[in-house]
Amino acid sequence: MTSLFRKLGWLLRRRSREEDLQAELRFHMEETAEEHRLKGASLQDAEHAARRDLGSIALVKENTRATWSWNWFEQFLQDFRYAVRTLIHNPVFTIMAALSLALGIGANTAIYSFLDALLLRSLPVFEPQRLAVLNWHNRWDHDTVFHGGSGNVYDDAKYGFTARIFPYPALEDFEKSQTVFSSLFAYLPTRNLNLTIHGQAEIDAGQYVSGDYFRGLGLNPAAGRFLTPQDDRAGAPPVLVSSFGFSRARFGSATAAVGQSILVNNIPFTVIGVAPPDFFGVDPAVAAEFYIPIHTNLLVDPNRFGEARRRYLNGNDYWIELMGRLRPGVSMTQAQSQLAIIFHTWAETTATTDAERTQLPELHLTNGGNGIDTLRRKYSQPFYLLFAMVGFVLAVACANIANLLLARASARRREIAVRVGLGAGRWRIIRQLLTESVVLALLGGVLGVLFALGGVGFLTARLANSGQGFPLRADLNWHVFGIALALSVGTGLLFGLAPALQAIRVDVVPALKGGRGGERRRRFVPFRLSHALVIAQIGLSMLLLAGAGLFVRTLSNLRAVNLGFNRENVLLFKLNARQAGHRDPEMTRFYGDLQQRFSGILGVRNATLSNSPLVGEGTWNAPVVPLGKPAPERAPNGHGSFGSTLGTHILTVGPEFFTTMQIPLVAGREFDERDRGDSVPVAIVNEAWARVNLGNENPLGQTIVLDPDSKTPLKMEVIGVAKNARYGDLKSEYPAVVYMAFLQNLYRPPEEATYALRSSGDPLALAAAVREIVHQADPRLPVTGMKTQSAMVDETMSAEMMFATLCTGFALLALTIACVGLYGTIAYTVARRTSEIGIRVALGARRTQVLWLVMRQVATMASIGMVLGVLAAFGLSRLIASLLYGVQANDPMTIGIAMGTLLVAVAAASYLPARGAARIEPMVALRQE
Amino acid sequence: MEEKQPSRIEFLQGTLDILILRTLSSGRAHGHAIAKHIRSTSGDVFQVETGSLYPALHRLEAKGWIAASWDLSDKGKRARYYRLTALGKKHLTTEQTRWHAFSRAMGLVLNAAPEEAQ
Repeated sequence: MTSLFRKLGWLLRRRSREEDLQAELRFHMEETAEEHRLKGASLQDAEHAARRDLGSIALVKENTRATWSWNWFEQFLQDFRYAVRTLIHNPVFTIMAALSLALGIGANTAIYSFLDALLLRSLPVFEPQRLAVLNWHNRWDHDTVFHGGSGNVYDDAKYGFTARIFPYPALEDFEKSQTVFSSLFAYLPTRNLNLTIHGQAEIDAGQYVSGDYFRGLGLNPAAGRFLTPQDDRAGAPPVLVSSFGFSRARFGSATAAVGQSILVNNIPFTVIGVAPPDFFGVDPAVAAEFYIPIHTNLLVDPNRFGEARRRYLNGNDYWIELMGRLRPGVSMTQAQSQLAIIFHTWAETTATTDAERTQLPELHLTNGGNGIDTLRRKYSQPFYLLFAMVGFVLAVACANIANLLLARASARRREIAVRVGLGAGRWRIIRQLLTESVVLALLGGVLGVLFALGGVGFLTARLANSGQGFPLRADLNWHVFGIALALSVGTGLLFGLAPALQAIRVDVVPALKGGRGGERRRRFVPFRLSHALVIAQIGLSMLLLAGAGLFVRTLSNLRAVNLGFNRENVLLFKLNARQAGHRDPEMTRFYGDLQQRFSGILGVRNATLSNSPLVGEGTWNAPVVPLGKPAPERAPNGHGSFGSTLGTHILTVGPEFFTTMQIPLVAGREFDERDRGDSVPVAIVNEAWARVNLGNENPLGQTIVLDPDSKTPLKMEVIGVAKNARYGDLKSEYPAVVYMAFLQNLYRPPEEATYALRSSGDPLALAAAVREIVHQADPRLPVTGMKTQSAMVDETMSAEMMFATLCTGFALLALTIACVGLYGTIAYTVARRTSEIGIRVALGARRTQVLWLVMRQVATMASIGMVLGVLAAFGLSRLIASLLYGVQANDPMTIGIAMGTLLVAVAAASYLPARGAARIEPMVALRQE
Repeated sequence: MEEKQPSRIEFLQGTLDILILRTLSSGRAHGHAIAKHIRSTSGDVFQVETGSLYPALHRLEAKGWIAASWDLSDKGKRARYYRLTALGKKHLTTEQTRWHAFSRAMGLVLNAAPEEAQ
């Protein structure tokens, strides 16, 4: 250790050390000379003899210096200093290389930081790897034991229809029979509830959790205690566990929160504990503000989805999510095989028909360690895709810099030959060249991290804008910095190695003689590394351009989608009167009165309300059939229509809805003031519903039935037929919709109402008047979700918009880098062939022939690159098919446009150096030799 | 083109190091004096090459066995004087023991009666 410090000290006092050595050796020589003189030699002879004795002073010095050691480190410092000097000497090269690398590394770092947040982070709980999420899947979407429920059911490529919602009785059955979990617990989102603390109301979302939730996750409370199974039963005093952030925001601190009272939808709850600071629930997609026992939904949400009490007994109603903690030593597979049998047996008992019995769902477990995968399913494919894209951009940048370095290495052949001639080892030279490229890459990496900081901010803002809310906070942590560093050093070595290896294959003597010799000549050169690199760059650019084209077309297709209503000049907002304490039948009148008062605002042309917005929030679904007819074959039953066009979607709308949204009616009338209270139940159907259910019959005046198979079917008279309009998403076909009268209140009792105001000017200018009216009507009632209809439509495309923007950006970036590389390569080739071209011109070659000579080479490289790029595009585009809309993954026009763009860029990049070649004067060129 | 030839240097190193340490154990000296002392005490058998001497001195200094300082020589010139450190003294002792053991063993083998080996 001391010797290390001593050497470090020497390193710092290097100069004085050199002088010392010099003086020491001089003294030695003088002493020796003195000796010789004493033996009788002449002054001159003595000095000569002394010099002979000493040998090569340089060698002695070098050997002595070597013992100061730290050689590798010193050599590294030397290399580093030399690299920095070389880079400063070539500012244009350095800036271009560092910038293109910075963009590549920055984009990679930014996207990686999202992937890191999305995919790699575990839940902050005890041994997260032992958590398992219960899911079921079913090939069939109709005639199954799944009669309805609340939660997501999605069509999975591998499993078919998949969900992780279960009926409550299934949980009780699992608890009775399973032996693989040490703990099994349930949870579901509460959706937005009205929380009032000290008279101040706000809307927040939390989780309903079963009594074993916190024990199963293995958490310790930050204050107070957690829920127990005793708290989660009907009739238990309502208690609440607050998130750490919520307790701080509303009570000042975690300890202050414990024991406080909160009104949840006007029901008094006691705060019994606070969750740890980093815990956000098990779904990274929604940060829960509070946790309340599942059974409190009897108090908070008694009538949601029918009578809450009945849900606990209904084996066909799917609504709770389940997670378990594996017992030590039990594997996921073992657990799955036991639970699958239990679930299968139990599900069989819930079948009501033979068809249902043969089409039972199957259970499978997924890893719960990273929480449940809503976000991952939604965003992981896009982010992997983006990651691949930025990877390609980085590859293009690397290839480009490797090419520039290759060219420079050839130019430095002389310098390297000198160094080899003076005795430098090959490895020493490779190391020095690699140091240069790594220093360059690190420079790019540092700039890249700065770019990444901006990029993460930009992306987060874009994603947060998407309305569905993007809760992930991607931040630049050590993981990410590690990746950035690894990328820098890795790319530096990658693009530095080939040029370095090429550079040392130099014949010393001809290189030193100057001129264009010195490169090891091979008789036949079918393949040059630099050409391969250019081809690779063109191929990758082609691939990225094709991808960008597909996303741009997807976006323009989405923009051009016919909504069926007029999105301009409409203001939307929501009110939830039930949470503020209103109850039927007064609540419906309250909502109706508000609608009339809104229509009186100056600047409002029409005002209406509905139980859900048209786009962006999913749809309500329930079976509706013409009286006496069965449902269309294969129509899904109940909730969760699985996106089938055969299921009926229901929207309850107020007076003037069709006028306000400008959805044309083909026949009949729209709802008005008459359709409220006890008047004859009425409905308006759209053309899609009429075609599926009535064929060519005229729907007007027909009687249709809601919930025909239930105990309380509802007959309605069709009073109007509307043109098709979007409800739910924009991408699928027009859904079959039955509109019911909001003010008749015959569908599921409404919670919140979405108001739509058509304005004559800027819709947002109405905001103040709206808030004023609501405040007058009921000060407890907050106005939420206020935005224009166009903003809401745009939000549903935000992902596609982001993709199109990013892909185009990345593709252009890659293209630019590739063109710069192409320009450099061609210019360099021309420079090398100056004398040859000079001779050709002297022998009578025409300018156009010379131009063609150069361009032919470009054309060859470009066509090879393009063909490879197109092949790759065909191969890879299938992977992105699910992200496209209205365009085939191998759309020939898109690929044609991409090729055209590429050709223009390539021609532009190579024309300048080619024209330079054509202008070469033979005399000038030949004199250079 | 590599500058080192490890096997030879290593052999010299070990030997030369002890010779230098032993020389310095009787008092401080500069490089030239050390070389002269080794030459004369070995009966002119060991000719210390300057090319090996200075690297060796600096290496021993790096190891902390000897320390250097500038001072005036007997003739009034500035010279770099080396002296043995406590660490160097300890090292010299162990090395001396090893050398004695080594040379004794060599002597025993070399002086053994020829018939005993058969």
